[in-house]
Amino acid sequence: MLTLYKARSVITMNPSMPRASAVLVRDGNILEVGEPERMQPWLEGQQFTVDEQFADKIICPGFIDPHLHPSMAAVLLPMEFITAMRWKLPWGDVEPVTDPAAFDARMQALHHSKPAEEPLFIWGYHQLWHGEMDKARIHQVSDQRPIIVWHRSFHELYMNDPAMSMAGIDPAQIKPGLQIDIDQGHFFEVGLGFAINRLNPWILAPEKYAEGLRRLKQVVHHGGHTSIGDLATGMFNLDAEAKALTEQLEGDDVPFRTRLVVHGTRLTQGGRKPEEGPTMAADLLRHNSHRLSFGRHIKLFSDGAFFSQLAQMQEPGYIDGHHGEWLAAPEELERHIRAYWHAGYQIHVHVTGDLGLELTLDILQKMQDEKPRFNHGFTFEHFGFSTPEQIRRIKALGAQVSANVYYLHELSDSYAKSGIGYERASQMARIGSCFAAGINTTVHSDFTMAPAEPLNSMWVAVNRISHEDQVMGAAEKLTQQQALEAITINAAHTIGMADITGSLRAGKRADFTVLDDDPLNCDPMALRDIGICATVFEGRVFPIP
Amino acid sequence: MSNSAVSSDSIPITLIGGYLGVGKTTLINKLLSHPGLPPGTAVLVNDFGDINIDESLIRSESDDGTVIGLSNGCICCSISDDLSKALDALREIPVKHVILETSGVAEPLRVWRHCHYPGFIPKAAVVLVDASKHAKRSQDKYVGSLVRAQVEQAHLLVLSKTDLNPGFELNRLTPQLSNQDPDLIDTLLGWRHIDETSEIAPSSSLQPAFRTYTWHQAQDITQALLTDVLSTLDESVHRVKGLVATGDAGLLLINRVGDSLNMHCYPQSAQPEHLGLVFICRSSSSHEMHSAASGLGTSSIASQIARLDAGN
Repeated sequence: MLTLYKARSVITMNPSMPRASAVLVRDGNILEVGEPERMQPWLEGQQFTVDEQFADKIICPGFIDPHLHPSMAAVLLPMEFITAMRWKLPWGDVEPVTDPAAFDARMQALHHSKPAEEPLFIWGYHQLWHGEMDKARIHQVSDQRPIIVWHRSFHELYMNDPAMSMAGIDPAQIKPGLQIDIDQGHFFEVGLGFAINRLNPWILAPEKYAEGLRRLKQVVHHGGHTSIGDLATGMFNLDAEAKALTEQLEGDDVPFRTRLVVHGTRLTQGGRKPEEGPTMAADLLRHNSHRLSFGRHIKLFSDGAFFSQLAQMQEPGYIDGHHGEWLAAPEELERHIRAYWHAGYQIHVHVTGDLGLELTLDILQKMQDEKPRFNHGFTFEHFGFSTPEQIRRIKALGAQVSANVYYLHELSDSYAKSGIGYERASQMARIGSCFAAGINTTVHSDFTMAPAEPLNSMWVAVNRISHEDQVMGAAEKLTQQQALEAITINAAHTIGMADITGSLRAGKRADFTVLDDDPLNCDPMALRDIGICATVFEGRVFPIP
Repeated sequence: MSNSAVSSDSIPITLIGGYLGVGKTTLINKLLSHPGLPPGTAVLVNDFGDINIDESLIRSESDDGTVIGLSNGCICCSISDDLSKALDALREIPVKHVILETSGVAEPLRVWRHCHYPGFIPKAAVVLVDASKHAKRSQDKYVGSLVRAQVEQAHLLVLSKTDLNPGFELNRLTPQLSNQDPDLIDTLLGWRHIDETSEIAPSSSLQPAFRTYTWHQAQDITQALLTDVLSTLDESVHRVKGLVATGDAGLLLINRVGDSLNMHCYPQSAQPEHLGLVFICRSSSSHEMHSAASGLGTSSIASQIARLDAGN
């Protein structure tokens, strides 16, 4: 059975034929992209339907987020969001809440909307907008219902008395001097670990986790994705995650495929040598199913968390003189990279600061000297800070970039004032230069670090507007064409799927994202508000309500 | 570093830190096989690399101690952290003392803060320094600042691989031992950091076996005075180390172990950051404990230090 999809315009991302008006599909694969009148040779003597439901829409290649974390998302998504930034979620937009009174009002509204006994988990609090939080403030909402208010950074939380008794935390056991302020109900750093260990029955319970993954499935669909990358499979527990992912993200009702990239150091943790990793990772391929597949990819880590100012920075470093941190000793990172490089893997390295990037570039240079490889796909993930000179090295070494461009929107103002100064803060996510250098460059959400909305990532990359409405690093803006490449064909290259998706041409899977407006011709500021009416995954239409 | 959480039912944690490859695993293996390892000692090892703890030395829970593997990472990236999980697990078994091996890239102070966990209390941060690699590593582009921070944040430094670089000296007023020291393990197990400015009376379960006194030199003294002071110390003084400026003999590197006193000339061109002496004392006597708690009140060391300050 053949289906001919007609559209107001088809954006192909195939540079040899950028635009068309129709796509002909058979059994989930594209037979031809172009004009209907030229497709007659395929249609003669065949049964076919002409599908006009997108006749006034724009068909794009299916969007791809090459780096997010379904398992993290599964934990977060069952919670209620009260955030300073906008989050578009399938069950409703989360409108920005930017002052303390509005935060309290929203807590009240959530409290009144829930059955009496249900604990209320809230995520997204940030003192910069929402003022100081404490237990008494939560008690004004309720001193009966367990309420947990989680910081946007995930590094601290507040609980009221009912929540503490639910979790079995006895205030009398908590002595002063700990990273717990029991009077304020505040748990941070290792105190947070103490709290989480006791909240786990609520946040990591199998049924909660499954519910979280079901929500993630909706989020991914809602964002217009047809492919995603899980860029640290096994971050909690490889077997448990693989089982849950198979249950929730495989099956005819799942409108996207997932590239699973295993967490390299977790894989060999517990006394296995890094050199055993490549064989262990290759063994995972036998678990592959239609939508869930490991490839010869591995994820490794260089420097610390961007949101916590633990990125390792070159001189002149941070204004307050603190240093970032390494997630593994440079020698250990090199040893892991060497093992996978020589085994022919595509290596994805988490890098946040320009010193973390410099180290990883030095290691990549060594690998190229030891065993030159072409088309190796070595990818710098997150790519917070960089220098122009490093862009040249990335190009020369044949590597690619997957940037969390959303950092620029949410963090560049505060990093300019209380991190590293305006010059470097405004140039975070230096991706215009990457495009200019001809480096394969994509953008990602790292969901839940940023919203899983490719159009939103595109909006940030094109406009480079901070949350205080300042244009940051205008010279690094992408064109709309580049930004769309970033979330389609370039992302497909990054997760090793460019042979089957990422653009629309004969022979690829029929993966579309169907838009109300043209993302290449619209007002750049309107990009993130373009309506997504449906996705098509391997020829099957999944409407977005 | 508040000491206000000290209470007799808190389990003390001794941190073993230092960069990758400095000998932490060797030291922990030594600890595990040490006859003086008190019953109920749990060892938490960093499990990020392919660390090779001697399996035969790992004791089961029914035995004297227990070894638990940890890995590194950020709570925001894993909704958990191994240290708090491990500490919660230890609450279930009778444990009296915890030895915690930090990751090679950890700053001791950050881990120290994490040891203020319900039911636990940090006791001392011991940092190993590789005598053969420290000089180069502390200038390294990537880990130089980290390695320097590890040394600065230590309460007790253990110099390893001194056989590869016998002349190695670390100019810091932090107590230093060699990993060849026969008393190393006992010293380490008994070590407790006490904030010199604090006036907290040590509780019985945390009584340190060793105390240190630090003399920061403010003005030149004579070699004669120095020799006299160092020769008339109380027998509880186990070791003295430091660098002292004298008016008549220049910079002197001091190393006193037991009764044996060594003084060497130090190049005048060196401009050391730290001048002074560190005294390591056994604090088993009640007299010593009393003076420790009252801030150097009446001990003989205190009077000797006063002589050094007065310059006569």
